[in-house]
Amino acid sequence: MGSLVLQGVTKRFGKVTAAQDISFEAEPGRILGLLGPNGAGKTTTIRMIANILTPDNGRVTLDGRVVGPWSQEQMGYLPEERGLYKKVKINDQLRYLAALKGIRARESAPRIAYWVKRLGLQEWSARKAQELSKGMQQKVQFIAAVLSNPRLIILDEPFSGLDPVNSELLREIVAELKANGRTILFASHRMEQVEQLCDDICLIANGKLVLKGTLRDIKRRYKRDRLALAYDGEAPFLDAMERKGDLQFLERNEDGCIVRLAEHCHSRSLLERLLETPDLELYRFELLQPSLDEIFIRTVESL
Amino acid sequence: MSRKSLVVMQNEFMRRVTSKTFILTTLLGPALLIGFFAVIIIISISAVEDSFEDNSSGENSSLSIAVVDETGVLSARILSQGIGDHALVTADLNSAHEGALDGLFDAYVRIPPEVISGTGQPVLYSQEGRGLGVRGALGGIIEKALEDHLLADRNVSTDVRSIFERVVRLDTVRLTDEGEEAEDPAPEGYMMLGFVLGMVMYMTMLIYGTLILYGTMEERTTRVVEIIVSSVRPFDLLMGKVLGIGLIGFVQMAVWMLMVLGAVILAGPIIGMFIDPAMYDLPVAATNQEILDAANISMPHISVGLFVWFILYFIGGYLLYGGLFATVGTLVDSPQESQTLLLPLLMPMIISIIFLSPVMVNPDGGLALGLSLFPLTSPVPMIVRMTVMDVPFWQLLLSYGLLVLSFIGSMWVSARIYRASILMYGKKPSLRVIASYLRNG
Repeated sequence: MGSLVLQGVTKRFGKVTAAQDISFEAEPGRILGLLGPNGAGKTTTIRMIANILTPDNGRVTLDGRVVGPWSQEQMGYLPEERGLYKKVKINDQLRYLAALKGIRARESAPRIAYWVKRLGLQEWSARKAQELSKGMQQKVQFIAAVLSNPRLIILDEPFSGLDPVNSELLREIVAELKANGRTILFASHRMEQVEQLCDDICLIANGKLVLKGTLRDIKRRYKRDRLALAYDGEAPFLDAMERKGDLQFLERNEDGCIVRLAEHCHSRSLLERLLETPDLELYRFELLQPSLDEIFIRTVESL
Repeated sequence: MSRKSLVVMQNEFMRRVTSKTFILTTLLGPALLIGFFAVIIIISISAVEDSFEDNSSGENSSLSIAVVDETGVLSARILSQGIGDHALVTADLNSAHEGALDGLFDAYVRIPPEVISGTGQPVLYSQEGRGLGVRGALGGIIEKALEDHLLADRNVSTDVRSIFERVVRLDTVRLTDEGEEAEDPAPEGYMMLGFVLGMVMYMTMLIYGTLILYGTMEERTTRVVEIIVSSVRPFDLLMGKVLGIGLIGFVQMAVWMLMVLGAVILAGPIIGMFIDPAMYDLPVAATNQEILDAANISMPHISVGLFVWFILYFIGGYLLYGGLFATVGTLVDSPQESQTLLLPLLMPMIISIIFLSPVMVNPDGGLALGLSLFPLTSPVPMIVRMTVMDVPFWQLLLSYGLLVLSFIGSMWVSARIYRASILMYGKKPSLRVIASYLRNG
C-alpha cells in the first residue's frame, strides 16, 4: 500500500532539462529523503509525482498504477511554496481542501477538529488565514496535507520557519504517520533533519540522481576518514605529519582536534604512536562516521 | 463538467454569496441607482413645471416681470394669458429699466414695434440671468398674443383658427407573420428597452468579468495554487471558478431584475403622480392610464420569448466574456498588469453599444446582422433587433451557436495557458511563450 516507483523519469522545459532519467522507490512505513541543492530538480520531480507535471519520458507509479487524477486523492502534499486563501477561515479552508480530495464535509469535520487540536490551532480555526502567523499558517498547510489520510505524503521543507517546539511536534507526527505505514517523501536541504528522520536517501544534483540507498548503506559506503582526538599533553608529531601531508586538521582546540587522515595513513599506526608518546594521556580516539552534510558536499563537488 | 469543478464552483459561490460585500452591493446597488434616477426625474420634472403655466411652484420662484410693449397692441393679450404665479405688469422702458436695476422687477421684456412686421424680436432683460426660467414660456405667450393679434387683424374666423389648434399624434401598429395586427407601444419604448438591456449586459460583463479576472489570479497571487493543483486539474479549477463567480453575478442580476420588475409595475403610477393632468387638459380626476396615454408614455411589453432569449444571451455573453477575462487573469500576476490586456477585450463590447441606434433604425441591415452574429458583440445587438423585429430563427441559432463555441474555445485557450503558466510566479510571459503554451499546453 503506497509504494511509489519512478522509472527513468525525465522532464525538460525548453532547452533546460530539469530532471533527467530519475529512478527510485519509496516504500510504505519508511521515510525517503529527497536531497539536493537549490534548483537541482527536487520540486520538478515532486510535481511529477503529484501529477502536476507530466514527465516527458519514464513513468511514475503508485502501487503499480501510473499516477493521475486518481492518485491525487491518495496523496497529501505540502509544497515549499506556501499559500492559503487569505480571507477564508481556517475551518472552511480545510473543508474545501478536503472536498477537493473527494472527502465530504460530514467526514472531514471530525478530522479537521482532530488535527486542529493536535497542532494547537483550536482558537484560530474560526479566524481568517491572514490573521495567522507564518508558522501557524504552515501548520494549517500541514493539516491539509494529512487530512485525507493519504497513502503517500510529500513534505517539501516542512520545518522551515517553525520554532523548535513546533518542529518537534511535527517530527513526532511524521514519525507516527510512518509507523502507520504511510509512504513519506521528505524534501530538504537541511541535512541534520534528513539524518534524524529518513530511512532512505536520494540525492539529486543538476537534474540527475547522483546517490541513493538507505541512510546506513550510504554512510557505510563512505570511509571513516575523520578522526576525533582528545588528550592531555603535547603531540608535536601531529604538526609534522600535517606538513608531510599525512593528515589535515579540520578543527583544533586545547583539548584535542579533529583530523582527516590521508589515504596512505592508517589510523592504527597513529593510535600506536599516540599511546607510545610519553606524558600524553589519550582519552578519546574515535573514527567519525561521515556526516550527510559532508557526503552531500563531497558528492556534489565531485560531479 | 467534472465533480471537482462542481466542488470548486460551489466553494467560489458560497464564499462570495455569504460575504458582506455581496449582500451590501446587492441590496444597496439598486437603492443607489433608484435614488440617482429619482433625483434626476424630480429635478427635470420641476424644471418642466416651472416653464409651464401652473400654480404649483413655490413663492420663492414667483417673479415680477415688466412688459414694455412698444407695439401698443400686444400687452392686453399677454397680460390676459398670465404666466403661472409670476406677476406681469406693463411699464414704460425707463421705469422698467430702473425697476430691473433696483430690484423692483426681476426682469423686463421689451417688445419693439418691428415685432408686428416680423423684422424685430422681443428681448428679455434681467440681472444675474433671473427670469431665464420663464424665457421659453414668455416667448410662447408673446407668440400666441402676436398670432391672435395678426389673425384678428385679418378677420380670421374661429373655424379657421381651430385648425391651428389641431395636434396629430402618430400611433404605431406592428405587422406580424400571421397577418394579425398587434397594437404596440411607440418605438421609443423599444429603443429604450434595447438600450437598457444593452447597458445591463455591458455593466454586468464589466463588473463580473473583472471579478472573474481577479478570481483566476487569486490562487497564484496567494501561492495556494500548488496545493490546489495537486488535487484538481487546472481546467477543472478554472471552469469551476468561472462558473462559480459567474453564478454570483447571475444571482445578483436576478435579484436586481426582480426589483426592476417590481419597479416597472409601479413605474406607471409613479410617473403619473408626477405629471399634472392640467398639462394635458385632462380633468384633475383623470386616471393614471389616461394621463400616461396623453403624455404618450407607454410601458413596453416584454414577450416571454424575448425574455428567454435575453436570459440565454445574457448567460452566453457573460460566460464568453468571463472566459476571456479568465484568460487575461491567467496571463498576469497583478490587476495593474491586466489593464493593457483588457482594452482590446472591452472594444467589441463598446462597439456593440455605439452601434445600437443604427441597429435599431435598420435592424435587418448588414451591420445589424454582422454585429448580432459575431460572438464578441452578438448579445446586445441581437436582443435589440429582437425587440424591433422578428429575427429569423436560423440567425438566432447561428448566432447563439457561435457564442457557445467561442465560450468553449476561450476556456480551452485559457486552460492551456493556465496549466502552463500556473506555477510560474512573477514571470510575465511573452507572446512567443504564450504561443508555445497554446501549442504544447
